[in-house]
Amino acid sequence: MNAGTIIRGVLTPVISIALVFLVWDLIIRGFGVQTFVAPSPGETLDALRDNWSTLWPLALETIRETVYGFIVGAVLGFVLAVAMAQTRIVQGLVYPVLIVSQAVPIIAIAAPLVILLGFGIAPKIVIVAWIVFFPVAVNVLDGLANVDRELLNLARAMGGSRSRVFLHIRLPATVTPLYTGLKIGATYAVTGAVIGELVASTGSSLAGFQREANSSLDTPAVWAAMLLMTIIGIGWFLLVVGVEYVTTPWKHRATHRRLRFRATNDPRS
Amino acid sequence: MTAGTPKLRVEGATKAFGGNVALAPTTLALRPGEFVSLVGPSGCGKSTLFNVVSGLLRPDLGSVLLDGEDITGTSGNVGYMLQKDLLVPWRTVVDNITLGAALTRGVTRDDRAQAVDFAERYGLGGFVDHYPHALSGGMRQRVALMRTLATNHDVLLLDEPFGALDAQTRLEMQQWLLQVWADTERTVLFVTHDVDESIFLSDRVLVMSPRPGRIAAELAVELPRPRTLNLMTTPGFNDIKREILALLHARDAA
Repeated sequence: MNAGTIIRGVLTPVISIALVFLVWDLIIRGFGVQTFVAPSPGETLDALRDNWSTLWPLALETIRETVYGFIVGAVLGFVLAVAMAQTRIVQGLVYPVLIVSQAVPIIAIAAPLVILLGFGIAPKIVIVAWIVFFPVAVNVLDGLANVDRELLNLARAMGGSRSRVFLHIRLPATVTPLYTGLKIGATYAVTGAVIGELVASTGSSLAGFQREANSSLDTPAVWAAMLLMTIIGIGWFLLVVGVEYVTTPWKHRATHRRLRFRATNDPRS
Repeated sequence: MTAGTPKLRVEGATKAFGGNVALAPTTLALRPGEFVSLVGPSGCGKSTLFNVVSGLLRPDLGSVLLDGEDITGTSGNVGYMLQKDLLVPWRTVVDNITLGAALTRGVTRDDRAQAVDFAERYGLGGFVDHYPHALSGGMRQRVALMRTLATNHDVLLLDEPFGALDAQTRLEMQQWLLQVWADTERTVLFVTHDVDESIFLSDRVLVMSPRPGRIAAELAVELPRPRTLNLMTTPGFNDIKREILALLHARDAA
């Protein structure tokens, strides 16, 4: 990694977020906005610190819902895409359902799910999965459909069996679109979890905390909860980006770094 | 044609798409270890002929014989390489060379050893663990040819493998290919638009013509081997070139 990459990759986003906080601060101070209307960044961070012992366990719960729902959605989306790529009939049957599922307003699906699944973690997982599976399915399906025809012909000319061509050519070709779908899903996943909490909330959740703070006019705490939700979303997104970086070395490295004895003795392909 | 079973024989292969005859009944035979080029314009049926020989297309009529055995319409019997290198971006050089094994039966230790050996012998020694994106166009084509060689088929079908390279690299690759060919004693069927290339590399040049695609003429290239670039400016070379150009031109005028 050279200096330019570090500046572009790390420094610029840090600067841009710092600028957002600066503008936020200037607006609050410049217009003399009252704290109970909207707090400054400093007041928000203070509220976050003051409520930390309450907020942290709630945040862990939101993270749990996000992660479980994300995994369920990602697996479901991937499996659906692979199934659809097999035959036109499956695709013809499944694709319309996919579209319909996303046309249902996600807020509107929350209440029926809570009635159906209760006030536990289940409806939240379903909502997150509902949001995440779609970009994954669409991108992976696209990736499977756009594998280089000539490469597939070459694989066939080499005598490759259908299952091995799938394993070594088609499946790895889905990695890039899969991560595209996962990154889109990651940014929305927390939203899904919070919507679930909002509808199903019995109080012990980030969304519930925010609603209670709202009713007691503790605006800095309202903002602190929002900031924490945002941080969870960003953290999850960055984790997905990090996993992508580690698992796709061919995109950013010239060589596959491994010991030569493995290169010659590892019989796996 | 000399006596004995040809390595590869195409017998009256014919292919039409809809009402268009892409390949009129075509017969050709390659001796073991022979290097034969097909030259001709687009639409002369060379791709169809290639796909028939590789087994990707089943001819409407006729057959393909490898060592006298009928392989018509079955793939995995010959090596196959195109102008696009089609290297798999997520596999390293050595993993790309062993792709054929991965796609047919699983990669063994021997496959890897052979791949590393090929790479080291033919100018890719320091690059076995590189990903394709880190290689130049010429090196990528070398890897693609190594991959074709590693399938261990006696017959190699090379469809304009150097067509996308710059003139300088192309000349280097032609000499390199002759060296690999001499070392490995494979039988090569080579498609090109480049008349110089076809003469420089081949024992025989088959001139194809379109509508319908067919072999219009056959010329023996009886020039000494091993060949160097100097050959390209000799009278013998130019005589053959003149003849081929006349054939291609006559067809254009017709």
